[in-house]
Amino acid sequence: MDIFNALMAGFATAITPANLLWALVGCALGTAVGVLPGIGPAVAVAMLLPITAKVDVTASMIFFAGIYYGAMYGGSTTSILLNTPGETASMVTAMEGNKMAKSGRAGAALATAAIGSFVAGTFATVVVTLFAPYVADFAVKLGPPEYFMLMVLAFTTVSAVLGQSSLRGMTALFVGLAAGCIGMDQISGAARYTGGKMELLDGIDIVLVAVGLFAVAEVLYAAMYEGKVEESQNKLTRVHMTKRDWKRSWPAWMRGTLLGTPFGCIPAGGTEIPTFLSYATEKKLAKGEDKAEFGGKGAIEGVAGPEAANNATVTAALIPLLTLGIPTSNTTAVLLGAFQNYGINPGPQLFTSSAALVWALIASLYIGNVMLLVLNLPMVGLWVKLLKIPRPQLYAGILIFATVGAYGMRQSAFDLFLLYGIGLLGVIMRRFDFPTAPVVVGMILGPLAEAQMRNAVSIGEGSWWIFLQRPMSLTLIIIVLAVLIIPRVLKRLSEAKQAREASAA
Amino acid sequence: MSDSFQDLARAAEAAQVSAYADPDEPQSPNVPSKRAQTIVGSGVLLVAVGLAVGALQIPSDSGYGGVGPNFLPWLCAIVLAVCGALLIWEARSGGFRHAADPGGHAKADILSFVWVSAGLLINAALIGTVGFIFSCTICYVLAVQGLRRAAHQPQASEIGTWVKDVITGLLISAPVFWMFTQFLAINLPGLTQTGWL
Repeated sequence: MDIFNALMAGFATAITPANLLWALVGCALGTAVGVLPGIGPAVAVAMLLPITAKVDVTASMIFFAGIYYGAMYGGSTTSILLNTPGETASMVTAMEGNKMAKSGRAGAALATAAIGSFVAGTFATVVVTLFAPYVADFAVKLGPPEYFMLMVLAFTTVSAVLGQSSLRGMTALFVGLAAGCIGMDQISGAARYTGGKMELLDGIDIVLVAVGLFAVAEVLYAAMYEGKVEESQNKLTRVHMTKRDWKRSWPAWMRGTLLGTPFGCIPAGGTEIPTFLSYATEKKLAKGEDKAEFGGKGAIEGVAGPEAANNATVTAALIPLLTLGIPTSNTTAVLLGAFQNYGINPGPQLFTSSAALVWALIASLYIGNVMLLVLNLPMVGLWVKLLKIPRPQLYAGILIFATVGAYGMRQSAFDLFLLYGIGLLGVIMRRFDFPTAPVVVGMILGPLAEAQMRNAVSIGEGSWWIFLQRPMSLTLIIIVLAVLIIPRVLKRLSEAKQAREASAA
Repeated sequence: MSDSFQDLARAAEAAQVSAYADPDEPQSPNVPSKRAQTIVGSGVLLVAVGLAVGALQIPSDSGYGGVGPNFLPWLCAIVLAVCGALLIWEARSGGFRHAADPGGHAKADILSFVWVSAGLLINAALIGTVGFIFSCTICYVLAVQGLRRAAHQPQASEIGTWVKDVITGLLISAPVFWMFTQFLAINLPGLTQTGWL
């Protein structure tokens, strides 16, 4: 009952006209950045972080949350209508969605994606509502050693498990951790890597890194390597689902949601695994005529399932963010940065110390999902028009917004030069296939993890055995090792099996 | 389940995320050369050395905790040194493993890069003196010119296009400036003290 009352109080805050307006603007802006190529939710939130200096915390968090999940709705529109897959999360949607659009069923694909996102987003919000307070209650009992190990788990999955190469993931992670070291050490106050520059004493702002790595790098990369992009746009048909579409979509939405939610809850991150798993499941379960549509005319289950899984994961990822203060993606890392700008550190205390804020945020998720359904179903034609903006103008325009984000934070021209440098780094990373999420997560979580580690070792009176002596911390170490070792062993085994089969043949 | 995973792998390949599992397999022409990869690996190694040199200047005083402020910097330096060495080794022995095609052309368009870079750097240099609106307009115009040239638009250097780009740049930067300074009270530099220019 407590939860219900708290949620109702949250709704009371979230439905004030000003907050509703923030949510609406956030959702609309999120959908727009989702639709537009070259700019994602992480960079949109990062560019707007300077508003944290003036706007009230509840309003800005509602606004940022709107951008965060609005982008997921918008992303599917682009992946269905354009023949160029964007980010990994919507790539799975693109596989079948594109084929449906080519065979004249773009409307049905868009509808199943939007409604599936709504169903999954709402379900996952219910999960956040019901479980986040319990996770927070449990997390209060965790000490620095356990926290540190949880963060190590997040680092491990973000860098070593997701992505093509553990080596490049680890390199990216440690570049992020090293960048997080720059500035004044928060425990001892010692200056690290400032080179005597006053500007660096406060550290490098997350805005610079996110905007530089994503926005500036994207524009530079487009100028250097992409040149003329041959794009063909599929025709938008009436957004409508037949009775058969509904019958095929429902179970896929449900399965996608059930697959995605747990993946979001664990501090491991990534929408790739749940969306791919959902796709594989739908393909496996489809029968007869429906199965034949996979890879041919485009099967609606192949859009409905992954899209639901994607949204469920993204929404449920708020649980580790709010209750443990552990971000598992670029966008949640930037959201954590937004909280920090207000001097709030997400974690178990958040539900007691900033209860009004948290519940207003959760209530706004319900409201935002409804808004997004309206924004994305009847008004989809409006968003599709955004795809007509020519690339040179769009990309050059992004640079103006990047300047606002980078300069608006501290009014320092030095930051703009740094932004360019980080942009160059981003180009190299993209070209050489280094993942960027570990840099951002490492940079923002690094200082927190370092503090927990140093506190933990202090508790152990200088002994590192403390991590092995506490059962929960030991369990987490075992999980980290399992996450690192099991996939490799399985891969070796399957390679050995293939080699045996090949030699037998 | 394995069948459908094989299908999935094929589908992923069709969606242009082909990964190269075997270092002996020929890599896509867009995957940078082994020489370039070696340079990147060396760069990581160099960063590690820089971090180590910097770490020497950080006090090691750990108080009663046992871990001082120089611990993480040293850890980063050591791990990045190992990563750099391994990257060089990978580059020398068949190239970075599982390197996905980064997309786009094999060769960089240096001229377009210079245009966009000039826009960004001039913006950084001028923003304090000529104000946000004009500085960002210059940045926009130079960047869009670079991107037009990258896209082989023959009309890029025509005077009409330049005028159009200047107007578009002003039409984006001025409202952005007003929105952020007037409504959100964020400090952005103006040419005058009026708050409108």
